[in-house]
Parts: sequence; C-alpha cells; structure tokens
Amino acid sequence: MTAFFKREFLSYFRSPVGYVAIALFSFLSGFIFYSQFASGSVDIASEVISLRSFFVIIVPIITMGLLSEDKKRGTDILYYTTPVNLFNVVIGKALAAFALYAVMFVNVIIHIIVTLICGGKFGVGSVGAVIVFFFMAFMFISIGLFASAITDNQIISAIVAFIFILISQLLSTIAQYAGTAVVSILGIMKIKNAEPIGRAFNTTISWLDPFEKTKDFRLGLFSVSALFFLFSIGLLFLYFTFRILEKKRWSQA
Amino acid sequence: MIEINNLVKRYGDKKAVKGISFTVNDGEVLGFLGPNGAGKTTTMNIITGYLSSTSGTVKVNGHDILEEPELAKKEIGYLPENPPLYNDMTVKEYLNFICDLKGVEKARRKNMLDNIVSMVKISDVYDRLIGNLSKGYKQRVGIAQALVGNPSILILDEPTVGLDPNQIIEIRRLIKALSKNHSIVISSHILSEIQEIADRVVIINRGKIAAVDTISDLSKRLSGQSKILLTFRGPVTDAVTKIRTVKGVSSAVSRVANKFSQIEITISANDTSETRIAIFNLMVREGWPILELRSLDPSLEEIFLNITSGKGGVKS
Repeated sequence: MTAFFKREFLSYFRSPVGYVAIALFSFLSGFIFYSQFASGSVDIASEVISLRSFFVIIVPIITMGLLSEDKKRGTDILYYTTPVNLFNVVIGKALAAFALYAVMFVNVIIHIIVTLICGGKFGVGSVGAVIVFFFMAFMFISIGLFASAITDNQIISAIVAFIFILISQLLSTIAQYAGTAVVSILGIMKIKNAEPIGRAFNTTISWLDPFEKTKDFRLGLFSVSALFFLFSIGLLFLYFTFRILEKKRWSQA
Repeated sequence: MIEINNLVKRYGDKKAVKGISFTVNDGEVLGFLGPNGAGKTTTMNIITGYLSSTSGTVKVNGHDILEEPELAKKEIGYLPENPPLYNDMTVKEYLNFICDLKGVEKARRKNMLDNIVSMVKISDVYDRLIGNLSKGYKQRVGIAQALVGNPSILILDEPTVGLDPNQIIEIRRLIKALSKNHSIVISSHILSEIQEIADRVVIINRGKIAAVDTISDLSKRLSGQSKILLTFRGPVTDAVTKIRTVKGVSSAVSRVANKFSQIEITISANDTSETRIAIFNLMVREGWPILELRSLDPSLEEIFLNITSGKGGVKS
C-alpha cells in the first residue's frame, strides 16, 4: 500500500499534474479569501463550501492517470505478478490523491491562521465545513479512481469523472426536474396519484445528494449518518475499482 | 521447479493455449520457442499470475499460482515483453519501489540492490531517470526488477527483442551468468538464440506443444535437413548440374541474385560441413569465385514441418 502511495504521490511532482492542481486550488482559494477579506467579513466555512464546487475540475485532473497510465504503459503487470494485494494498490493510489488534496488545503490553513491573527473567528460551523470537505474529497477521489480504472485513456477517464461529479453536484436540480417530468408524464397517461409518485422520485434522487445531506454542518449541526453516507459511497467505488482490476486477469483479450 | 499441467486459455471463443503441459526443472534454462502468436506470452502471463487460465494448473515450487498466489509469486521474477518501467522514476527509486512491492525488508535491501546493480551493470545510470535511458539499459533495469527479492525462477519474455547486436550479446551473456543460480524460462522466436543459452526447448505452435527436447537432440533431428547458401560468379546451368552431383547434396535451386551477375544457389544437404568442403573444392576446380558460402539456419516453419512430419514426435 505504501509503495504505490509513495510512487503516485511523488509522480504528481514529476509531472505538471501536481503543480497544476495546487496552482489552481491556490488561485481559487486565494481569490475567494481575498474577496471576503476585502469586504471585511471573513467566513472560512463559506470559503471551504465554495471550494467544493471545484471538485469537478480538480479531482479529474489528479485521478485521471492513476490507473489508466499503468494500463497504457503495461506497468499494471506489477499489480498482478508481485505478491502485492490488489486492494492495497487501489487504496495506495486513492490515498496519494487524497494526500495531494491535503497539500492543497494548506492554503486554507494559512487563511485560517490569518483570520485568527486578524481577530476573526474559526467556529464550529467552519470545523464542520472542513470535515465535510475532506469526506467529499475522499468520495470524489474514489469516483475519479474508478473512472481511471475503466479505460487506458486519461482523457476519457477525466471526462467520466467530470460527468459523475457534475451529476452529483446537480442532483437537487435533477431531482426537481425528474419529479415534475414524472408528474406530467403520468398525467398524460391519466394515471392516478401522479403527484405523490413524482414527489417520491424527487425525494429519492434528493436523498442521494451529498451536498443536501451535509448542509447543516456549517450551522454546527454534525450528522454522523451523513459522513457515513459519503464514506460508504467512497468505499463502494474503491470496491468497484478493485473488482475491475481483478476482472482484468480473467477476461483480458 | 514449475509444473504446468494441461493449461488452456480461451479468449471468447478463440483458444490461445490449447492444453499445454511441461515441467521446468531446478537449475535448468528452458527455451520457450514459437512463432509470433503461438501463445508464448499468454503462457508466460499465466505462469506469472498476470492472467488466469481457463483450465489447467501451474505449480511453482509446489505452490499453486491461484491457491497460494503470494508464495508462488515470491519464487518468480518476471521480465515481460515490455519491461514494466516508470519513466518518471530514477533507477534507484524504481528498484526500491519494486522492493516495496515484493516485500523486501529494509535491512536486506541495500545488500541485495548492490548485488543486482553490479550484476546487471547499471551502476552508472543508477541515479538517472528511466525515461532517459537507452533501450538496452531499460532492458537491464527490467532484468534487475525481475531479480529483486532473489526469486529462484526467472521468466524472460523475448528479452533481446528490439536491441542492437551488441546489446543482444551482452544480454545473452548476462542471462548465462544468471543461469548459474536460477532456473530460467526464456522465450524467443529465434532458434539460434535459444540454442546458445538453453539446455532444453519447448516448441509451441498455435497454442500446442510441437516438441519438448534437449538442444543436442533437437539439433540432431534438424541436422538431416540443413541448407547451404552459395553465392558465386559463373555459369548458372552448368554450376547447378555440377553441384547436384556433389556427394550429399539432395537438391540445388538457383536464382540470379543481382545486377552484378552473381548467382545464388540454395543447396539442401545431409551434412553441411562436409558438403561445404566439397562445394568449395568444386568451385576452385572450375575457377568460379565464391562470394559467400554458409549454412542456413532452418526457419521456425521448417522446424515445425520437420518435427510434426512424424520423425521423433514429442519427447520429454
């Protein structure tokens, strides 16, 4: 596990990928913090929450090559022909991407320090926002890693990850549209109870929305079940990734 | 020791390997020979655990590759056709990474890597990025990677493909040196290469074993059908008829080689060295200058024809 973690983490800094991701994150977080600072009302929680909307760009950048590059170059043969366990490969790579996120997050820590020095507050809500941020990072990295396992092309992997994350960010909107669409379709078909069925669609899809689930954290209302949800989705995708790698041995053409 | 028993690999409805069985004994160098697409790489991938077989078993020093994969893989060092190298790492980082993967303890690591590096002669590129190395050095790093963890068996898939003649000779020398304390399975589609290194050969064609034989027996079997290439200046028809009368020659086919009025004759003979002497004497007598006279290595196709045409059959 540590072998692949070390290798991948180092390789982020042997290619532009790590620097691009860090630069992008630094720019975005710096910009947000600066505009808050200039207006005189610094809120770390809202900075961190805004930064979540950039998962959709940064995660695909850092996960796209994790497995697809090995497949393309033939180095994935090492997963199978050395005594290393496949699950350790998956976890090592996910942790490398997660560690890169932690490095990027140093920006926010600097902002917190500056805020505290200037007499600002770092309250419970901000702690909640930070916790949610890292759980989401883990979840989206797992999804990105999964996207990297299904292809040997980095670009395709990045696009798949982008679409997955975009959908998860738009889930509340998608839920509304799906709800109304179901209602109108059922209405046309003259089926009774169209309204409740539409609402059920809406709530089912909304239930999957990671942002909706965790929105009370910034108020200081922590929910273990919400964190458990994010963590489980992350684990689920790691497991899918593991299965894809394992399957390759059986069905390689 | 590797025991391979009735190995089958199916890709969809196509069978790449159709029931292969053979044994690699301790301390021997086994040549694994076959034309491209015969199933060599597939078989090696199954032995090393990269692929799973559709049916059949592989036992490495008594450990089944599917049932006890970790123990079996510890015994094997594998150099695939494309060495699994990371271009963005230095040789040192890469070999340490492989040590991590193979679970080599920190205490043993330094000593082991020192030995490997001096054996495969990569000390002068040890701190360079793998991406900047020549193909020959990359191949050496690939072999070094296989040696990490002191496996008792080395599996080398076409280790000399794509190298220049000097590099080929050096890699062969290295393999010979390694054979002193490793069992080696080496694949190739070139017979002469295997003949130089291996004790025994397994020849496969279209997913099936065509022959299992020692090198000396194989050469004996093949020597009956050797060919000689003769290039000279002189009259064609006259030469062909005269050559056909030389003792041991069974056939002679001529063609005008090129614009310099050279003539090439391919001669089939029972014993090439005796026949070559006789041909030389003939040419001298006639005053036809010889430009080239050499025995031709039989092509793999000829070997298969020869082996599968009933003589001898499969012998293990």
